[in-house]
Amino acid sequence: MAVVSKIKIKNASITKDNLLKLLKEIVKEKTLIAPVQNELDDVNFLPVGDAKEICFEYENTATSPKEFFYPQYECMFSFSGAANDNIEIKDNNEEIVLFGVRSCDVKGIELLDKFYERSFEDDYYLSKRRNSVVISVACSELNEQCFCASTGTGPILEEGFDIQLLSNGDGYAVQVGSEKGLELFEKYQNFFGPEVKVDTKKQKPQFDLQKVYNNLKEEKVDEDFWEDMGQRCQSCGLCLFLCPTCSCYSVTDKDTPLGESRRSRQWDACYFRGFTRMAGGNDPVRNSAEMMKRKYQHKLCQQIDEFEMSGCVGCGRCSLACVGNVNWLENIIKIERAN
Amino acid sequence: MKDVYYPDIALIDTVRDETGDVKTLRMRFKNPDTQKNLSYRSGQFFEVSIFGIGEMPISITSTPSRKAFFELSVKNVGLVSAALHRLPTGSEVGIRGPFGNGFPYEEVFGKNLLFVGGGIGLAPLRSLINNVLDNRDNFGKVIILYGARTPGDLVFKDEFKWWESQPDVTMLLTVDRGDEKWTGNVGVVTTLFPRAGIMSKNAVAFVCGPPVMIPFVIRDLLELGFTDDTIISTLERHMKCGVGKCGHCCIGHKYVCIDGPVFTYHEMKVMTE
Repeated sequence: MAVVSKIKIKNASITKDNLLKLLKEIVKEKTLIAPVQNELDDVNFLPVGDAKEICFEYENTATSPKEFFYPQYECMFSFSGAANDNIEIKDNNEEIVLFGVRSCDVKGIELLDKFYERSFEDDYYLSKRRNSVVISVACSELNEQCFCASTGTGPILEEGFDIQLLSNGDGYAVQVGSEKGLELFEKYQNFFGPEVKVDTKKQKPQFDLQKVYNNLKEEKVDEDFWEDMGQRCQSCGLCLFLCPTCSCYSVTDKDTPLGESRRSRQWDACYFRGFTRMAGGNDPVRNSAEMMKRKYQHKLCQQIDEFEMSGCVGCGRCSLACVGNVNWLENIIKIERAN
Repeated sequence: MKDVYYPDIALIDTVRDETGDVKTLRMRFKNPDTQKNLSYRSGQFFEVSIFGIGEMPISITSTPSRKAFFELSVKNVGLVSAALHRLPTGSEVGIRGPFGNGFPYEEVFGKNLLFVGGGIGLAPLRSLINNVLDNRDNFGKVIILYGARTPGDLVFKDEFKWWESQPDVTMLLTVDRGDEKWTGNVGVVTTLFPRAGIMSKNAVAFVCGPPVMIPFVIRDLLELGFTDDTIISTLERHMKCGVGKCGHCCIGHKYVCIDGPVFTYHEMKVMTE
């Protein structure tokens, strides 16, 4: 069963007042997760108790919404004793509505859906996704660090969303794009109005993704380029933790103070040294330059081949976070221009 | 909820010392139905758990043609393998799998088979060798060439006599350094090639061993007339999940845990790390 069953797009509208009322209703029945501004002015997704807490004026959240389906730390099962059959796995039935997701992150979730659905299905992720509805709010224009128009992932989506809101000043145009979205829309249809016109002009891309793909595939980029990046990278992993599509994890067994033991998974990053190192010390990824190249090829080449969409969704979070001043957008443009 | 991350429990029935740092564990699933329904291909692997320590991928060294048990040969190199070495018979461990693609089997019916192994690399080959010898009529000539650092590092010594005694089997051994009792060949495994009577026609070569061995073996096999598609090897990578999700074993377009660990030389050549 696909996580998102697409439908023919249904158009409607909602006023700002009614949107707030709708969100107040949703809070009563489901876990509502939405952008909230903290005292340091950071905006992040948090579960909200009252729709008044929601922040509506933001470029994008500091972290991606992937953590609600793929938490940074997740208990896979608990056990007791050295080895026994008392392995317990808990089902997850919490229904969540995620409000205020930007288009880039909707596409990030779409890529993760495809990844977790292929070959062996990952129920930890998929069970949470199946119990969720995403109401996304498209950006009206590109923010400084963003390049979703170049990766084909925004700022306005043509498909792949549950419900998409497009601001038209006084309120929002509403597009319903999936069965889950339609179910929510019909349940609360009193809050919605008739279709309204909205400006959906396309933004100009900063680079040609096809050219970037070709240059990576044909290995046209100088080794110096990767080596320079390898020297800048401090292996902190922040770019990968913030990335809406990064999904690598490590697994550990730990005892809890209550005598129960847990097997858990936690985010891992291919920029951490030792990510590919085997017991015995052999590491097939020989140096930082290879490490850097691996990630670019994975997101801008291999994932395009496998999922028919860019593995980079252009949110720009990695560039904002990098302590070594590795800027994805600048680097992608350099790759595009390599010959 | 039963899912791909949930291990079944297996019991260790016997432990055999192969070398100073390799043990072969004969095991069976605690639930008799799980054991009865176990089906795997030579070349596949299990994710083996010691609860509280962790999990590691280990290739299955027993042959699917013998049903009552399965066997894993483990070299003591890391956290989980060291813990496995400490377990006495009767211990319980967690098992997930089998995972991975496995060696071609039905696909090489009627072919002459060459096996080239180095050190613990014989473990996955042993599964296929015994599967071939248990179904001897389905295959042509069999040549087994095996090398290790010293005579004490040769694994599965108990089975060499049986392998040699099977119809139309050539088996040659070598070590990098002999000892006072060793009367056999000394040198790397490729030094066995000239006297093994290798014919590349209608033949497939299976190569498993340490990373340093593989390029030399492949070079000589190509000279003998094997092609990129008739040389088959396995890749070893750091792995956590075994199901194509944790990302550690990703090489270019391939995940070693689900697309491998068995690859033709042709597939290996086009991979980018």
